[in-house]
Amino acid sequence: MRGTELIVVMCTVILIVAVTTAVIMGITAYTPGPEVRPLAKFYLENCLNLWNRAYWAASPEAVCSMLWDYRGIDTLYETTVFFLAIIGGVTVFRLIEVTPPLESLSEKIRRVLGLSVIVRTISKIVASIILIVAVAIAAHGHLTPGGGFQAGAAISVAPLMIIIALSRYFLEERKLTKERMLALRTVGLLTIWCTVIIPLIFALVGQVVYAMQNQAKPWTTFPGFPTGQLSTWIAGSLFIYNMAEFVAVGAGFTLLFLLLSLPEEVFREFMRRLTRK
Amino acid sequence: MSYVIVLEVLLAIAFTVAVICTYMVVKERDLVKAVVLSALQSIMYTLAYYLLMAPDIVLAYVAVGVGIYSVVLLFAISKTERFEEVEAR
Repeated sequence: MRGTELIVVMCTVILIVAVTTAVIMGITAYTPGPEVRPLAKFYLENCLNLWNRAYWAASPEAVCSMLWDYRGIDTLYETTVFFLAIIGGVTVFRLIEVTPPLESLSEKIRRVLGLSVIVRTISKIVASIILIVAVAIAAHGHLTPGGGFQAGAAISVAPLMIIIALSRYFLEERKLTKERMLALRTVGLLTIWCTVIIPLIFALVGQVVYAMQNQAKPWTTFPGFPTGQLSTWIAGSLFIYNMAEFVAVGAGFTLLFLLLSLPEEVFREFMRRLTRK
Repeated sequence: MSYVIVLEVLLAIAFTVAVICTYMVVKERDLVKAVVLSALQSIMYTLAYYLLMAPDIVLAYVAVGVGIYSVVLLFAISKTERFEEVEAR
């Protein structure tokens, strides 16, 4: 048995070395190098072109400009699909109306809630650091790598750690219940959709605009979202989108973890009560 | 030119470790250990994304691949058995 495993590992290593050598020798056409291809050149030249503002997105971050401006509709529907996925998850748990109070749990369940003092303290410290980092990623999303989804995924690690180290009751005592998370998630998505529709309001008064427009274009009369001053550059609607997506994704993931961390005993008890009726 | 060579060697190391981790995940009987190895594989992919100059993907991948994905699997393991049964040979 050991011999077969060794042969498999050896074959894998030989394959990887061979493929790497081939790639280094240039067998594939594309290797990441200093040259820039035409499509990338367009975005890099135009995303913060202060001299020719015809195609600009008012953001130095090309990726964020693409996600929320040039290819904004893609991201819009993507985040809507993610919302529907969360709704699907919530539907599975629809029978659980309220979380059982801590006192009603049996002694056996209460004993496994939370970990030792060392883990609890370290988790609290790390979770607060994660919160700060996530807010920074979201708020700088239009200036540096990062953005709404990345920040939302990062911040959801904090409640996840807290659920494991301190149990979900720590979150619920601080009013982070699943109903509020669903409300926050919805508010985030509604903010995104409202920001998409804002330019269309100008169409009612005869302006030429298109949906999800960020900055003014030569062929439209929409003035564009404010870009802010040099010290507080908010890049028009990109900042709003990033913050709304941050709230939406963070709340969505937290909601799923709150549902997943319900003790199995709670479901059994609930089903027992349901069948007795 | 030397920059590209260094980049590709680092990429090759990252991907090699990732493939070895994947193999060990498949062979591992202890599912918790398998999740940790899978997180290590995610870290290697993150390194590869960083080397390929995609810092936006790095930020999302590190949170999802190492944090969220591992913990969702751990939740799943906590509902079943930790050790995979050795099948009769």
